Amino acid sequence: MKTLITIYLKDLLRNKYTTMMVMLVPVLLYPMLYWGITQFLMVKTGLTDNQEINLSLDIRSDKFTSIKDSIATIHNFKTTETADENFNKEGIYLIVDEVDYLPYYTIHLDSTNSIQKQFFGKLKVKLSGYYDLQLGGRIDASDYDTDYFDTFWVVRHNIDGGDEAMTKILSILIPMMSIITIIAGIGTGAVELTAGHTEDKTTETTLTTALSRKSIILAKVFATNIYGLVAGIINFTFLTFVIMQIISVLMMQFTNKKLDFDWSVILNLRTLLLSLLSLAIISYMMSLIFVAAAGFAKTRKESNILITPFFMAFMIMSYVVIIPAIEPSLVISLVPVLNIAMVIKLLIVNDIQIVFFTETILFSLIWMFLLYKLLLPFMLEEEIILGNSNTSLIKQIKGRFAKWKKK
Amino acid sequence: MEEKIVIKNLTKEFYDEQRGAIKAVNDLSFTAYAGEIFGLLGPNGAGKTTTLRMMATLMKPNAGTISINGFDTDQDAQNVRKSMGFLSATTALYPRLSPREIITYFANLNGYPEENTKERVEELIKHFGITKYADTLSEKLSTGMKQITSIARTIVHDPPVLILDEPSSGLDVIVAQKIHEHIIDLKNQGKTIIFSSHNMGEVEKVCDRIGVINNGKLLTTGTLDELREITGKYYMEEIFIYLVQEYESVKQKELETAND
Ligand SMILES: Nc1ncnc2c1ncn2[C@@H]1O[C@H](COP(=O)(O)OP(=O)(O)OP(=O)(O)O)[C@@H](O)[C@H]1O
Ligand SMILES: [Mg+2]
Repeated sequence: MKTLITIYLKDLLRNKYTTMMVMLVPVLLYPMLYWGITQFLMVKTGLTDNQEINLSLDIRSDKFTSIKDSIATIHNFKTTETADENFNKEGIYLIVDEVDYLPYYTIHLDSTNSIQKQFFGKLKVKLSGYYDLQLGGRIDASDYDTDYFDTFWVVRHNIDGGDEAMTKILSILIPMMSIITIIAGIGTGAVELTAGHTEDKTTETTLTTALSRKSIILAKVFATNIYGLVAGIINFTFLTFVIMQIISVLMMQFTNKKLDFDWSVILNLRTLLLSLLSLAIISYMMSLIFVAAAGFAKTRKESNILITPFFMAFMIMSYVVIIPAIEPSLVISLVPVLNIAMVIKLLIVNDIQIVFFTETILFSLIWMFLLYKLLLPFMLEEEIILGNSNTSLIKQIKGRFAKWKKK
Repeated sequence: MEEKIVIKNLTKEFYDEQRGAIKAVNDLSFTAYAGEIFGLLGPNGAGKTTTLRMMATLMKPNAGTISINGFDTDQDAQNVRKSMGFLSATTALYPRLSPREIITYFANLNGYPEENTKERVEELIKHFGITKYADTLSEKLSTGMKQITSIARTIVHDPPVLILDEPSSGLDVIVAQKIHEHIIDLKNQGKTIIFSSHNMGEVEKVCDRIGVINNGKLLTTGTLDELREITGKYYMEEIFIYLVQEYESVKQKELETAND
């Protein structure tokens, strides 16, 4: 089977026309995208200035004034002491109260703002450290049971931030574009490897080799999958690069200084690996569907028509992440493609919950298994494999459908 | 003589929306022996390709059995495929692979011992005169070059049985001549070869035995001399026309008179 996958991939990659379409065209499009978005945002940023990451610190207990020093160690925080909650809605607003002689934190921030979130992550570390320090003092002073105090209180309030646009580019464009580019690669691969091979009559000769029919079909699915993923990753990389450029240009606009953004938020190993895992699963699933659908056609042209509805459906599902009201939930984790787009979005804004991630992966695997079971018999049908879609299986289904209609 | 291909009561039906049920192959039986070339001769739509495809395990018959090299196509498809090489009616090569790659890959796909593959491929490339264009992508080759490559690809794993669907159709006489030589050469190596054709001259020249097929039915089989005797005609063309147009009715009449 390895040999066959090699054959398929070589044949695909040497197809200059399709490879160019799938791999290079999007890459050439990105600079245009880059230019477009920056132009658009420059106009927008003219309306709202003062986008700095500010921290408004509202210490309401004299006991905890030393927290200032702890926070001051975080880079890039512009800390201002205040007692006015309306002081600055553009940054993070932190209230330090006292409950049971221990600090009690309330934080206002824009959770759609990836930069604020990233700073919040750093802040949280300091806050919990400071809390533990205080707790240690309390436990030493009185003879309390340690277990009693194991809760660290942070209450988060969401506020509307000013630079949502930037966050949206990151958390929406990336999942959307990576899924779309993968679909494009998979679509092209599936058409070439099924209808293309039927048209070129190569399927027939491959079927008469010692390989089993199933391994030939699976080789097609795997080759499609690999091709799509490679196309997706190339695109993903370029896209991320372009977005990085966009953001640094924007930061120049906002603050007149060079961006000192910690890219490890997006480009860390965890996000990349988990994204890749999610994308690999979804692309395998889509490969199954596309290979099955494209296989019904005799010619490339026909099969392009056949895969179009699936193409559209998946694309639209990946668009759904744009809608802010769509929040991670059990239902979302059940919807293929959308769930993965959501996972990637959450990974980027660093707000992924292990439950949602696990659910998504689990349900995707279940989908994958069900699709495999459902589609394989079709793909193995001699009439389909030889490019004649009037298969007995289809006839059976048609027959049953006709009976059911009569009733 | 060793029976290499045994076909019994083979039937295949297709369903077509316009034409309804078509019996592409109808109760067909014949046997081919080791070291012989069996020609399947028939007009367009006679059922030649369908028969060969069933032999190659590409399609399942509705009724009847096929045994190739002692293996049943239904029970033991894998072994059947290992023991045969199949050349389809069109030169089906991966367009963006070179002849050398294609031949090598098919040796792999058919489980040819890896350590001998390179040697075998080079030997075939030399034998078939592919050397000059061995590394050109096959989409750029002429039909003749493609067909020669296809044949090398078909026999790379050295199978005892070869199934060739119209191996010389669409080729000029010189290439066709070369292919005939190769086929005879392969027969002399002890292979059993079955091939379909509508070219009378080719069948006359190359085949040891001939089966004439029409409307999915095998009209008769025999050596050229035997066919001459049955039909009372000399040239293959006349024999063929006689068989296809008149034989059926003559036989029918004979049956009727016998029954009377
Ligand atoms: N997949 C299919 N679906 C429906 N009908 C088919 C299919 N394959 C073949 N047929 C029909 O079966 C009959 C026999 O076809 P076949 O291709 O075996 O003929 P052939 O002898 O090879 O003809 P040719 O000399 O044109 O190659 C024809 O009527 C053809 O239309
Ligand atoms: Mg034919």
